[in-house]
Amino acid sequence: MDELLEILKKIKPGVDFEHETGLVEKRILDSMSIIRLVSALNNAFDIEIQVTDLVPENFESAASIMALVERLEDE
Amino acid sequence: MSITALSFVVFIFALLAIYYLLPKKFQWVVLLVASICFYIYGGFTTIIYVLISAACVFAATHLLQNQANKTKAFIKEHKAELTREEKKAVKQKSKQRRRLILTLAILFNLAFLGVFKYSHFFIDQFNAVLSIFHLAPVDNTFSLIVPLGISYYTLMAIGYMADVYWGKAQAQKNFLKVLLFISFFPQITQGPISEYNQLSGELFKEHQFTYDNFSRGFQRMLWGFFKKMVIADALAPYVTWITTYYDKFTGITCIVGALFYMFQLYADFSGYMDIMCGYCEMLDIRLAENFNRPYFSKSLSELWRRWHITLGAWLRTYVYYPIAMSKWNQTLSQKCKKPLGEYASGKIAATIPLLFVWFVIGFWHDASWAYILWGFGNAFVIILSEWLSPVYGRMKTALKIRENALPYRAFQCIRTFGIFTFLEIVAAVQVLGGNGYQYVWRAFTNHTLPRTLEELFPSVEGLGGQFLLMLLLAFFGLGLMFVFSLVQRKKPVRDYFNKIPLFLRIVIMVVTVLIIVSSGVQASWGAGAFMYANF
Repeated sequence: MDELLEILKKIKPGVDFEHETGLVEKRILDSMSIIRLVSALNNAFDIEIQVTDLVPENFESAASIMALVERLEDE
Repeated sequence: MSITALSFVVFIFALLAIYYLLPKKFQWVVLLVASICFYIYGGFTTIIYVLISAACVFAATHLLQNQANKTKAFIKEHKAELTREEKKAVKQKSKQRRRLILTLAILFNLAFLGVFKYSHFFIDQFNAVLSIFHLAPVDNTFSLIVPLGISYYTLMAIGYMADVYWGKAQAQKNFLKVLLFISFFPQITQGPISEYNQLSGELFKEHQFTYDNFSRGFQRMLWGFFKKMVIADALAPYVTWITTYYDKFTGITCIVGALFYMFQLYADFSGYMDIMCGYCEMLDIRLAENFNRPYFSKSLSELWRRWHITLGAWLRTYVYYPIAMSKWNQTLSQKCKKPLGEYASGKIAATIPLLFVWFVIGFWHDASWAYILWGFGNAFVIILSEWLSPVYGRMKTALKIRENALPYRAFQCIRTFGIFTFLEIVAAVQVLGGNGYQYVWRAFTNHTLPRTLEELFPSVEGLGGQFLLMLLLAFFGLGLMFVFSLVQRKKPVRDYFNKIPLFLRIVIMVVTVLIIVSSGVQASWGAGAFMYANF
């Protein structure tokens, strides 16, 4: 989780990612930052996020992003 | 069939009666027959192209679904015998086959769009190359009957096929239902560009008549007609007059012309959406929304999330994400990491697909260099603001600007509207055969102040005093539109309207109908056609 929070803070500094639960809804993460995030996650966790994974539910909070990463690590 | 014509109004109300009188299970069939009638009215031949497109979509989605089902069944049957790697290989092979089917089907649909919408543009470019070598040009004077709504239904068809490919949607087994999805008449000429799962859910369920749907839908439709016929059509002759002969007018008149163009564009396009969304509400069908008070946006990227929403959403899902996530884009980002650093490489991975998306948006709007440049102009502003966002952040801190302060928000809205107006008016004047940059230059350098009202609002040739009267009505409409936009922030205007006593509501609606009908004379001015229908 710490590694993910590091990545998120690099992409959007100044956001309380530990507690924020509306990252997409509040447009803290827009499509451009999601692409940067995906690129960073693929590298850091050696996973392959697919286009079909790019749904708001997967990116609303640090917890939901972590759940996506863990699911893809298991596959 | 023009949707501002009396014949259209008769058509939709007759359809409404049949739709609710027949058994519910036939409601989608009624919509299909109505959509086919709508097409045939616009020219019999164009329905053939829609049928071919629907047949292609039907076949492709079936092949995609069968391939996916077969793979699933095979893996399930041989679960015990197959290793993890073997399962992966089977899935990969199936994916390759499905990708081939999808690619061929998309190319087939795009070929139609290319021939009908872009052949003149491509031949023009080819002739330009030929002229360099002093060779005779190819004939480009032929005319093609462009199938009604091809720009819209092609995108919907591609979206549906991609959804089946990704497993987001199930292939529809009934060809006629696919045909209805592609050709549903309320959205065929100007969108919204609906996703299959959303629209099919609405189209194929059974619908119950309710007074609430009927009255609220009618109110929205009436507001749409008002926006189109009282505001947009009254501004249209003035805007055409100024943007065509801008070199005769003062700078202030050019600015007024540009502002009117923006109001006309919004009233025209969103008016159409209100008419169709309102009508569909009367049918108990919810169409996707295409506007959310776009001129109150604080940045250009926000504006594009609130203007033609379904086009933006379509491009994000089916163009931006697939390109951004593609192996070559990710590899490029990786290669840039070492020389440029992590921040810049991440930005590059997000920016290159955006440039392509904006090229598509520009080219989709019009087969001209003016609109391709317009697309890149939008991209330039959006990318620059994204790349410079850390600098803006530091500037705001240094200047002690509070993000939520009303003056700052107002400044952001005005700035965004100004940029959007600049991009739009340049493209619009270029397409009319003028020079958009000269127009803008004149607007800001010709400081001659208009001495009379006539100089500020020059009468359009052939309209006389009637023009000023229509303009006054349009001003009243613009005022209403502004107030409604402010009210809409909290909840729909209709929620407030329906609290008024019934008698007063009826009087207001009757007066609105009378104003709309009396404004119908504008059709003789050459107005009446919808601006976005040309795209």
